[in-house]
Amino acid sequence: MRQQARKPFDKSKIPQDLCPIATELSELKTGDWRAERPVVDRDKCVKCATCWLYCPTQCVEEKPTWFEAGLEICKGCGVCAQECPHQAIAMVEEVEE
Amino acid sequence: MGKGYPTIAFYPEKCNGCNDCVEACAQIKTETSEPVHSRISVAKDPDDEFYGLSLCRQCGDPRCVMDCPARALTKNEDTGVVHWDETKCVNCQICTLACPYAGITYNRITDQVMKCDLCNGDPACVKACAPMALEYKIGAEIYNTWGDLEDLFVPGVGACLGCNSELIMRHTLRRIGPNTVVATPPGCIPGVGSVGVNGITSTKTPVFHPLLTNTASMLAGVKRYYNRIGRDVTMLALAGDGGAADVGFQSLSGAAERGEQMIFVCVDNEGYMNTGVQRSSTTPYGAWTTTTPVGEALQGKTRDAKPLPLLMVLHSCEYVATAALPFMEDFYMKLDKAIEASKRGMAFIHIFSPCPTGWRFDPSQLIEVARKGVETNMVPLWEYENDLGRINITHVVNEPLPVVTYLKSIGKYRHLSDEQLVYIQRKTDERFELLKKFTKESKLEGLSDAA
Repeated sequence: MRQQARKPFDKSKIPQDLCPIATELSELKTGDWRAERPVVDRDKCVKCATCWLYCPTQCVEEKPTWFEAGLEICKGCGVCAQECPHQAIAMVEEVEE
Repeated sequence: MGKGYPTIAFYPEKCNGCNDCVEACAQIKTETSEPVHSRISVAKDPDDEFYGLSLCRQCGDPRCVMDCPARALTKNEDTGVVHWDETKCVNCQICTLACPYAGITYNRITDQVMKCDLCNGDPACVKACAPMALEYKIGAEIYNTWGDLEDLFVPGVGACLGCNSELIMRHTLRRIGPNTVVATPPGCIPGVGSVGVNGITSTKTPVFHPLLTNTASMLAGVKRYYNRIGRDVTMLALAGDGGAADVGFQSLSGAAERGEQMIFVCVDNEGYMNTGVQRSSTTPYGAWTTTTPVGEALQGKTRDAKPLPLLMVLHSCEYVATAALPFMEDFYMKLDKAIEASKRGMAFIHIFSPCPTGWRFDPSQLIEVARKGVETNMVPLWEYENDLGRINITHVVNEPLPVVTYLKSIGKYRHLSDEQLVYIQRKTDERFELLKKFTKESKLEGLSDAA
């Protein structure tokens, strides 16, 4: 991953009389919203990156021979399963083990 | 990072079994139209509803390569194509048994196996397929070019499941890059936490929250300051339809008229989704919202949507485009042009943005709904370059689907009567005819025709 962003401002150097300025990045983990989890059939995946292209959270990660959703962030919307041109992704209900 | 690869997608519901793909394949590989030489075939049992496809998928981890005892099959890491080497093949045909998709087959005439090689990135079968049941998907090129760049929003933002706005903002800012000041007026995009509260933000570039009314004028001021101190910084507005077409319109119109240098992206989800689905001026005729309810007196909105992108063309912006994210290559091309145009003046991109929550459809259908919007011509994709002075339709729909195929997939249109459907079809056709007038050499010529 090529970093693009600069670091946020140093909190201690912001004058007190300035308007509010954010100095920290949000760490929201949206994976715990999920009711269904995308499960990739590695045999069927051809690495066409369609799931990455259309994943609203952009949580899809590349693995050596397949792509799969990062479950810390994936909200389970099912767009990837719907759009996969080779039907390699199944949405599986999240149940307690 | 590794790589993504193009692939051929197959839509069984569109295949009519005409075998044109088979002939085209045989023709290009052997210059005969003998089906026996084709690397692709379609077939179905009498009981099946749809045809099935036999074609090499160029698997990520190919079974044929694993099982070939002679190492005659190899996966090309650059192109993704599984390559068959005639000189190494011992004709054992194990690969034909290993492949679960019948993608490599034995040719009894040549006494050899044969398989698809994607025609060096220009597959003949796809071009030959009239019903467009085959599609060559090249989204991987975007991944290979831009996928390695850091997403300039934090991984988790509080957008609904299947949120098109989230998809738009992530792709847009990743492409435009970190040397950018982002303005997001009230709407879903700041609503999901992109600006943030209490010193915590979700955006990794400078971002601020203008009023709903003054996004374009604030950005104009910031840009003029940077120009004065000699720093080249891109200005990006990520506004909803309210912040662009309704109360935000006067500042946008003023900035466009003055030729302020910025990229103004209107994420058009056709209403005030962030505050509970109220109508806006871009809500289409007939749509249900909480302020255009469906009951005895009303059947959804009674007025037509404001054609904001055409209004921006008439402002002589440097660049105006409409986009929809199923057509991501088209969108990235337009971002490229918008970045360049914003160095000279206003670049305006109007993005059709279906909203599962406010429009009442399943989040998984997000891309499919947007695709139908384009394929029915309800949302034509086009661009306008001021130095050319006319509109160019970037995605021509040869045979537009009836609008009902789009409307019936969305809950907010569920109540529409036959008369309303007829009206929407007529309006869609009329608007497209009007748009075509702008594709003539000069937009003013087109206008005098229209008058």
